[in-house]
Amino acid sequence: MATTDTRRPPAPGRIALYVTLSLVALLMVVPFLWMIVTSLKTPAEIASADTSLLPTHWAFGNYADALRAAPFATYARNSFVIAASHTVLNVVFASMAGYALARIRFRGSEFLFYCFVAALMIPTYTKVLPEFLIVRFMPLAGGNDLFGQGGSGWLDTWWALIVPGAITPFAVFLFRQFYLDLPVELEEAARLDGLGEFRIYARIMTPQVKPALTTVALLTFESSWNNFLWPLLVTRTDSLRVIQVGLSVFKTENGTQWHFLMAGTTLATLPMVLLFLVGQRYFVQGFAHTGLK
Amino acid sequence: MVTPALLHAALWIGLPIIAAVYLAFTSYDVLTAPRFVGLANFRDMLDDAMFRKSIVNTVIYTFFTVPFGMLLGLLLALALDRGLRARGVFRTAIFLPQVTATVAIALVWLWIYNPRNGLFNTLLGLFGIEGPAWLASTSWAMPSVILVGIWQGIGMKMLIYLAALQNLPKDLYEAASVDGASPVRQFFSITLPLLKPATFFVLITSLISAFQSFDQIYILTDGGPAGSTTMMTYEIYKSAFREFRVGYACAQSLVLFVLLMGFTLVNRRIMGGTRGHD
Repeated sequence: MATTDTRRPPAPGRIALYVTLSLVALLMVVPFLWMIVTSLKTPAEIASADTSLLPTHWAFGNYADALRAAPFATYARNSFVIAASHTVLNVVFASMAGYALARIRFRGSEFLFYCFVAALMIPTYTKVLPEFLIVRFMPLAGGNDLFGQGGSGWLDTWWALIVPGAITPFAVFLFRQFYLDLPVELEEAARLDGLGEFRIYARIMTPQVKPALTTVALLTFESSWNNFLWPLLVTRTDSLRVIQVGLSVFKTENGTQWHFLMAGTTLATLPMVLLFLVGQRYFVQGFAHTGLK
Repeated sequence: MVTPALLHAALWIGLPIIAAVYLAFTSYDVLTAPRFVGLANFRDMLDDAMFRKSIVNTVIYTFFTVPFGMLLGLLLALALDRGLRARGVFRTAIFLPQVTATVAIALVWLWIYNPRNGLFNTLLGLFGIEGPAWLASTSWAMPSVILVGIWQGIGMKMLIYLAALQNLPKDLYEAASVDGASPVRQFFSITLPLLKPATFFVLITSLISAFQSFDQIYILTDGGPAGSTTMMTYEIYKSAFREFRVGYACAQSLVLFVLLMGFTLVNRRIMGGTRGHD
């Protein structure tokens, strides 16, 4: 990291650099600003031919009206419940698996690790159709018989929204890398004290990988909140819709009500922006590790 | 301890892959049992003009979003690697689209591209230019979608390059400066070669995600107008959930799978063992 030049008067090149970067940053943020500005305009102003960039009359009431026009609050609650469940399940089970793969020698552990790596490479669009069928034909659920016939299985249930995406191979992989870096001495001392494997994992090792826990938790929450395709496929009823699907349905049904649509989009975007600003360090770490979204 | 994750992966990743391969050789509409049809689905694909078009579109979209995005990401990373003040602010702004839902982003761009009162045509109107119908125009729809793709993906590429730049050995540059190498020369003979692993990493992950673009197409264009922005993922979705040809959709998804696997293997081959552990 270069720390030169900070006390000298800025060189022309440096000023040009700041100006360019500011312009780029502005271009990146403009769509977000346009979203917020639109959400605060009246429909009349949006539709008028000579519309100005900023609202002449700030219509803060749009937000309350948008929540009445569509159950965005319910959608957001659903998204939150699913994202929170995914986060907890993924952190707990993927860390257990990552720990076992990194620190416990057992027959086939290396083979299992390669299975997870292979799972990491399966594209979403190859597995999503059969996943849908498994949900649809889930035995003894939603009126299905033992062979998955007769009912609708897990379709339109919380099960379908939460269970299939609960544990990700990516999280297992990331946890394994973090557990691998821990010193053997920690583990040996605990073993001498007579601790069982699970307690070594839970009491000794896991507190040492807190950054990994935070990274996985934040990335899981973010991708779950932003997920669109899967909830779109497995839900039909309005009461189970997540925010992203809710927005797309609102777009289809009320395509011209841009002030409401942008208010809803702002509500859907804000939590992730805040989460990112708070946990930026962990997001950066996680993304730099994987490059996968 | 690995059991819960293992069973979960077996049921929701292992089984689906086996099922996808099997169903690709069947005719299946979900209501009646799958019927084995051999290679018929793959033969149908050859005659499916829309699917061929979707492959071409996916390649065009990838060809423009990935290299341009990488170049811009690299330039921004180089700019940010120079110990600027307010560097965090720039980085945050550039990365913001990456953490936002693609659906939300696409909705905002749908409004920006709105022919009557969208941001673009309003701005063009200030100069007396009447803008095109962007997403509704067969010639402008794809460039419009590509612009959104570049805009959203730039942050990730910048971030990976930035992380790589910060790990470069500083003493090499000092030695080069002593030898009188110009900054440009240093960039081409030191920085760029050392960034090779990062470049391949960005390339492969970007290719994989560009090939799986779906949300923005669903919201922005529905694959239209006249199929001018349809992608492979979108055709898979349509075959399965609008035409209920699940066997055919699985066959299409296998083609996508093979292409993506190809990228990964080529990457492995070229990269060799240069990427540290694993």
